[in-house]
Amino acid sequence: MEQVEEMKATRSTGRAIIDCDVHPYPKSVDEIRSYMQEPWKSRYRGSGRGFFDNPVHGMRLDATPPNGGGAGTDPDFVREQLLKPFGHEYAVLMPRAFCNLLPDPDYATAIAAAYNEWLADTWLGKHNADGVFKGSITIAHQDPHAAAREIERWAGHPHFVQVMTDSGARAPFGQRQYYPIYEACEKHGLPFAIHPGTDGMGINVQPSPGYPTHYIEWHTCLSLAFQAHLVSFLTEGVFERFPGFKIVLVEGGVSWLPGLMWRLDQEYKALRYEVPWMTKRPSEYLRDHVRISSQPLERPDDDGHLLQMLTMMDAEHILMFASDYPHWDFDSPKHAFPKLPDAMARRIFYENAKEFYKL
Amino acid sequence: MGRHVVGNAAELPPGSRKIVTLENRSIGVFNVNGAYYALKNSCPHQAAPLCAGPIKGTNLPSKPGEYRYAREGEIIRCPWHGWEFDLTNGKSLFDPHKCLVKTYEVAVEEVREEQEEPSVETYRVQIEANKVVVYI
Repeated sequence: MEQVEEMKATRSTGRAIIDCDVHPYPKSVDEIRSYMQEPWKSRYRGSGRGFFDNPVHGMRLDATPPNGGGAGTDPDFVREQLLKPFGHEYAVLMPRAFCNLLPDPDYATAIAAAYNEWLADTWLGKHNADGVFKGSITIAHQDPHAAAREIERWAGHPHFVQVMTDSGARAPFGQRQYYPIYEACEKHGLPFAIHPGTDGMGINVQPSPGYPTHYIEWHTCLSLAFQAHLVSFLTEGVFERFPGFKIVLVEGGVSWLPGLMWRLDQEYKALRYEVPWMTKRPSEYLRDHVRISSQPLERPDDDGHLLQMLTMMDAEHILMFASDYPHWDFDSPKHAFPKLPDAMARRIFYENAKEFYKL
Repeated sequence: MGRHVVGNAAELPPGSRKIVTLENRSIGVFNVNGAYYALKNSCPHQAAPLCAGPIKGTNLPSKPGEYRYAREGEIIRCPWHGWEFDLTNGKSLFDPHKCLVKTYEVAVEEVREEQEEPSVETYRVQIEANKVVVYI
């Protein structure tokens, strides 16, 4: 309880922050395995992305907990290193199950379920007396009906605030095979979050033409999948079919949005005929249905250029701060942005997420 | 200019580092192949603890498809985003003139340590050779 009091003290000082992308990791593969049934329990050995790994380091090297274990495995150390110093009020957790690359939908669904049980027990349970941790329901989109059942299973939980999947997919996310997932999201008021992870791996298509050679290519081009998914959501009419459905694009880049929307709005003037269910210009759906998280925020040499981009994309209403702790490309709340107008800063760092997640 | 003795030279052999706080500033002191350097322990990018990063070599500029790994022990990487800095001058490898970290002068000096003897008015003077001294 002493810790709870400390957290409250921190919150009363400085700028309140809601961080929309913090990664919790299990202490061991066995921890996840303990939530699995056979035949998956013996089969599961943990798995990452497999390739396109950062050749230098993938985690902040100073994020290793002093008591041992890997970065992001100790909730108390995350409090010490991230939440307290920066004044976080909430951290939205994005576990990395990497189940979205597997060809076997039953196995993938079992991994997702185990991650959800683990998260609920640990970070959202016994390590969450102060309630700062909010979770994401991991789903395997290979089997949308099973994914919908998994959403149903956790929808009443007080600390799960969204459904999440990797941006790696077999088809753009606007297509109708995914609709059972969106129906469940809409029913329970849970946003659908997309996070980079399994693009071009396992069963998923690569958003660039073929496989890039280097991590720098792959990582830069992660934003391509997000652009394709967003255009698909809009043009397939997902937000018309599910009026209460909301999405959040996490770690997919930020400043591409104005150009893409200008292009799509322009196309719409000529091609509305093809997608008559779009009752308004594509960009007009954004404020009601789409949020984008900030990390990794592009930083041009001229801060003024970024400020213009943020204005053009209506960042004051659709951008939410994310740090991506403890990954190597962590954005510090103090240094990732140039000086912002106060009202815009308040909305990006706090209010947009507070409203979006109903925190 | 502040002069600060930070330790015995023998305790900072080649390849090692010591992070100290001097005048409320965190500073990393490095022995790079026998020469001493000191850098501000804050990355100019997002203020990460730069001096805690791994000390390595690097790939020198080369033709496409070629690799020339060199300068082992002379390059420090930021523990967050991996930006490379030259330990010998604090300059980043990708933009040495615009992106650089503050450096401090380091000397190895013989330092006379004076110890006060209790209840007498004389002082014993002891000479300890080779202290690492940082000037900031």
